[in-house]
This record gives sequence, structure tokens and C-alpha cells, in this order.
Amino acid sequence: MSDKIGYTEAFEELQQIVSEIEQGEISVDELSEKVKRAAQLIKVCKAKLTTTEEDVNKILKELDASRADDNEA
Amino acid sequence: MPEKTSDKTIFSLLEVTQSIQKTLSERYRSAFWVKAEMNKLNFYGHSGHCYPELVEKQDGKVIAQIKAHLWKDDYIRANNNFKAVLKEPLKDGIKILFLAKVSFDPAHGLALWILDIDPSYTLGDLEREKQETISRLQEEGIFNRNKTLKLPLLPQRIAIISVETSKGYVDFLKVIETNSWNYAFFHLLFPSLLQGDKAVEAICHQLRRIKRIKSHFDVVAIIRGGGGDIGLSCYNSYQLAKETALFPIPVITGIGHATNETVTEMVSFSNAITPTKLAEFLLQHFHNFSIPLQDGERIIVDTSHQLISEAKSKLHSELKLFRSVTENILTANRNEVRELLKSVFHHTRSQIGQFKLLVLQWKDKLFAHASLQCKQTQMELKNIDKNIFNMSPQVVLKRGYSITRLNGEAIKDTHTIRSGDRVSTTLFEGNIISVVQSTNQSAKE
Repeated sequence: MSDKIGYTEAFEELQQIVSEIEQGEISVDELSEKVKRAAQLIKVCKAKLTTTEEDVNKILKELDASRADDNEA
Repeated sequence: MPEKTSDKTIFSLLEVTQSIQKTLSERYRSAFWVKAEMNKLNFYGHSGHCYPELVEKQDGKVIAQIKAHLWKDDYIRANNNFKAVLKEPLKDGIKILFLAKVSFDPAHGLALWILDIDPSYTLGDLEREKQETISRLQEEGIFNRNKTLKLPLLPQRIAIISVETSKGYVDFLKVIETNSWNYAFFHLLFPSLLQGDKAVEAICHQLRRIKRIKSHFDVVAIIRGGGGDIGLSCYNSYQLAKETALFPIPVITGIGHATNETVTEMVSFSNAITPTKLAEFLLQHFHNFSIPLQDGERIIVDTSHQLISEAKSKLHSELKLFRSVTENILTANRNEVRELLKSVFHHTRSQIGQFKLLVLQWKDKLFAHASLQCKQTQMELKNIDKNIFNMSPQVVLKRGYSITRLNGEAIKDTHTIRSGDRVSTTLFEGNIISVVQSTNQSAKE
């Protein structure tokens, strides 16, 4: 169970769990584990909805660096 | 008047040019329609006049060219016609059909004097160019290329090609930044001209810049709006449309106009009528992510509760059943034990009764047996006693037998007896002392 799961995978895995639960494929024995996992996935997804990690300065720096490369070429 | 020398007539330049002017004006009295490519419009803002460069090309080579002039009032009228019909102003590099007169001025030389321009001719030409762009992209198989890309579930990081002052840009930002769901977007502006011929190169330039740092973005948004509908034919340019179609991440457009869709919009991943709609398109993707997320959360919580409560009630009923079954079994067993106990008592008592009887019988038998035995033994004892009495020496002696002893010991044969031995004979009554005369070695009896 990786902490670095991407939100797309998290979303898909969550959908999977939801459909399993909806279709009654999960027994009470597995339930705790699945709900715990689902809570983690939901957390990842919700965090992604409301935050971004891009940094303008970093991007501009990278843009400048690539321009330098272009000039050399 | 020309000067006359001895052998020459010499004209002044003005005389020559005035002569040309006179000839030409007599030869070209009326205006006529001409089609040509307007290489440059050469608009002078100060005077308001234009001095277009007109050319005709064949296989890319200029085979005819002439200067022209378009006076301020004619320019304003023609330009308004253009904007009304083409949604484009008069500009460099378009084909025009114009009404002109040949004009020659001694000071300025030969030119075509443009009186009017027919916008419908250029419209057809622009439309043809647009169609050419479309079919070229289709032939190259790249027309739908951008549409086949995959937009991330959350198109969150947006490279915006627009201008800070554009109303469309402001509208767009307002929608994505003040959304009431707190969806987070990251956006960076790549400023560019957005209309007119120079926009093609400017937008392409920014697209190329974005391409270099494309890993930071999910989508490129070309946003324009509030600038009227004039000057959008740049979006039909093959160069811009191709750059858009081949762009490695989805390009979405919100150019905001009422005219026909341009080729760039057609080839883009998605096109919205206005920048606001474009922003809503992005929000919709967030909804498409967020709503199943919330639904999923609710379903998981509800279903889990339901599952647990079902399991609980199942457990309860199992427990109840178990208890009732156990109680039944216990009761049944208890009853059975009680019955068994009863029957054990009963059996034991009757057994004991029987034993008692047996014991009594045995006691009687024992007594009877024992007394019989005693009697018999007494009888036997009596017989023995009688025998013993019969055998006693007194009785034997009485019957006439006697015992002869030598030196106190009974004599049983003659071997120990010598003549002259003194022997004593005991009788039933009394003793005889005698001396042996002789012995007889006769046999017994």
C-alpha cells in the first residue's frame, strides 16, 4: 500500500471498491480493511481536488533553461 | 514648351510626365474591376490613406506588380464593408477584387487608384483558404490528432494563451478561481496577440514555449473574448491549426465569437463558445470526479452500516436460535435424566425387593441345609462312637479275648517267647500269671 498513489489510480481503485461493496461482494470480515483503504483513497482524491503543487518560479526557471538549450542547439 | 536647339528638341521631365498623364487619362477614361493580391496594405495612420502593394503571382513568383492608393474615405468605407461581410479588416496578404482607375501623377508616378473593394470576392477566397487548411490537415491525417489525446481526470494545471487585458481571460479566471467547490487550479499566462495576422506566429511561439515545459500542464487554453469578431481568420491558418492539432497535450479553445467555427477550434481537443463556458467545461471535469467520490463515500458508509447491522441482527437471531435450541436440548435432557432417575429408583427398588426375597429364601435353605448336615454328622459321630466302643479292649475282652504280655508288652507271635518265660494274661476280669511250657510255631489263626 503505497503512500504515493496517484489520484487517477486512487479514483479507479475507489470506484472498484464502491462497486464491490454495492454488489455485495465484500463480506463483513473484509469490510474493515476495505473501508480503511477507501478512506485513504478518498483522502488522496479530495486533497487533489483542492490543492496543486505547481510552482511558477520553478516552471519559469525550467523554461529559461530549455531556451538556453535551444540557443546552444 | 520644349526648348529647341540646332539639332534637338528638349522636353522637361514635367512636360514628359504630363504628356504621359494626358495619354493615359485619355486611354483609360473609365474605372474597371481588377483582381490582385494585396501584398501590403500600407496604411498611414496620420493621413488615413493607404498605399497598397498589388501583385500577381504565378508559381510563387511575382509576374506583375503595381502600386496603388486608397484614399481615406474610400478606405474607411471599404474596410467597414470588409468587417461587416468577412469579420476581417482589410489586411496584408489577401486577394481582393477592386474597382480602379489608372492614375498617373507627374510627381508620384503610375498607380492604380482604388475606388472600391468587393468583400465577397475575398470572403470566397478566405473560405477557400479555410477549406484548404481543413483538407490539408485531413490529408495529413492530423485533423483529429489533438482530440485523441486523453485529458487527465482533473485538468488542473492550465497553460493559458491570452492577454492580461482580455475580458475573456478575466471571465475565465473568475469562474475557475471563485468556484464554490474550492476546486484548485494552477494557471500560468503565456501572453500573445489573439487576432490579426501576427497572432498566428505569436500563438505558435507560445505553444512552442509551453511544449518545452509540458510536463507541468494538463491542458492549454487559448482564450480570447471581448475584442469583437474581427480578425479571427488567423485561426484558420494552416500553421496555427497544425501546431494545435499536433500539440502533445490537449488544447482547448474559448475564442468567443459569433462567426463560424475556425479550423483551430475544430482541431482543438474541445472548443467552447465563450471563455466562461470553457472554464465551466473544466469545472465539469472536476464535478465528474468529485460527485462519484462523494457518492462513493456515501455508498461505502451506508452500505457498511447496513452490512454491519445486518450481520448484527443475523448474529442476534442466530444467538436466539442457539439459545432456544440449547434450552430445548437441556430441557429434553433434563427430562430424560429425571425419567432415567425415576426408572433407576424403580428398578433398584424392585431389584432390592427381589434380592430380599432371595436372601430370605437362601437363609431358609441355609438353615435347612445346615441342620441336615448337623444331623448327619451327629449320626456319623454316633456310629463312630459306637464302633469305637465296640472296638474298645474292655468290650473285646468281655467277648472272651485276652492279652498276653511279656515284660509288659503284648505278645503277637511266638518268636520272642521262650519256654519258661513268665507271661501275664489279662482277661475281662482279672489276670493270669503263667509260665510257658512250650511254643507252637504254628501259623496264625
